[in-house]
Amino acid sequence: RVSSDGKTPKFQPPPKPVIIDRKTKKEESRFLSPEFIPPRGRKDPLKYYIERKDMIQRRKVFNIPEFYVGHILAVTTANPLASDKSSRFVGICIQRGGTGLGATFVLRNVIEDQGVEICYELYSPRIQAIEVLKLEKRLDENLMYLRDALPEYSTVDVNMKPVPRMDNEEIPVNKVQVRMKPKPWSKRWERPKYNIKGIKFELPEHKMQAAQKWSQPWLEFDMLREYDTSKIEEKIRKELSEELEK
Amino acid sequence: MRLSVAAAISHGRVYRRFGLSPRSRLDLLRNLVTALVRYERIETPWARADEMRGYAERLIDYAKRGDKDERAMRMADFWLTEKDLIHKLFKVLAPRFQPHAGSYTRLLQIPNRDGLDRAKMAVIELKGNPLPPLVRPRRDSDRTLLNQLLKGYRQDAQRARGT
Repeated sequence: RVSSDGKTPKFQPPPKPVIIDRKTKKEESRFLSPEFIPPRGRKDPLKYYIERKDMIQRRKVFNIPEFYVGHILAVTTANPLASDKSSRFVGICIQRGGTGLGATFVLRNVIEDQGVEICYELYSPRIQAIEVLKLEKRLDENLMYLRDALPEYSTVDVNMKPVPRMDNEEIPVNKVQVRMKPKPWSKRWERPKYNIKGIKFELPEHKMQAAQKWSQPWLEFDMLREYDTSKIEEKIRKELSEELEK
Repeated sequence: MRLSVAAAISHGRVYRRFGLSPRSRLDLLRNLVTALVRYERIETPWARADEMRGYAERLIDYAKRGDKDERAMRMADFWLTEKDLIHKLFKVLAPRFQPHAGSYTRLLQIPNRDGLDRAKMAVIELKGNPLPPLVRPRRDSDRTLLNQLLKGYRQDAQRARGT
């Protein structure tokens, strides 16, 4: 190459690649599945330890992804009566319950104008695959009120493609306010004991204030009812990371 | 005699029932906690003292977080009805119990109440209080066999060192 002024150009080294260290971010977002945390009680911790070992064994063989209430999941289970011996169900996770090996989650969908809810056990050997199609958290931990909401809020497309997600991103919170069918509902969701933030209540003011009669404002100050799980969680996380590395 | 076995089974329920309602129970315990923080040693029925103990210790744990903490201040504001005690809680009691990890109170039973109900009474006090101690730790008397043998051993050792 000939430059304009006749001299050979000075060698410009290519720009060095910038390495973005993502390792620190990954360690911060440590998710511990809620079924690992033992409930408060007088049971021997040995029972929970043995259960956790079995849970870890299962997790080594079968991948249970991280998910919360409000995510849209697709579960394939083994079904002896179906033609390919497996059946697939897609739905929104409305509740996660149970601890230990009996941990369950309920998926809800509306298929041909009929609402369907199926309660799956996370550690059941019949489950062949769990895929997370869409990640989004909701304002509440329990979406049972979707039963009394308009069916459009519970319909999930059965042939939905998984929405791509960047790793190490915060899980977005969907702040949708759900509109309900006219009363009566299966539970009185306006009452403060359910503490639901995700419903757009179209009830008259006097009904909302009448519901506040059942509020128990002293409950938040009742210190003995608090269950501080931070230390227990630390121990379990350490145990899990040790076991899964083996 | 055991009149009914069923009456004694609680199926894991740990909170006793006091007063007229759950709100009233918390108010009762709140008054006792306020009194404990004010006088540092109070005499009440044993059941109330036992129930109140858990709340008092958790309140001190909250106070240890410091008064800048929003939640700690709200808890102290609810639990202490006399507002000058909030200052005492954060400035006197929290530093006093900072080295300990737990068990800030002592519960001792005393003879039953003199009234008609003959209730089982207890004294609950915060450790490290300025009042005279309730229990004086007594040394064993010199006349016990073991102490006599030890005394003899000490004297023999002294004689051996002397010569």
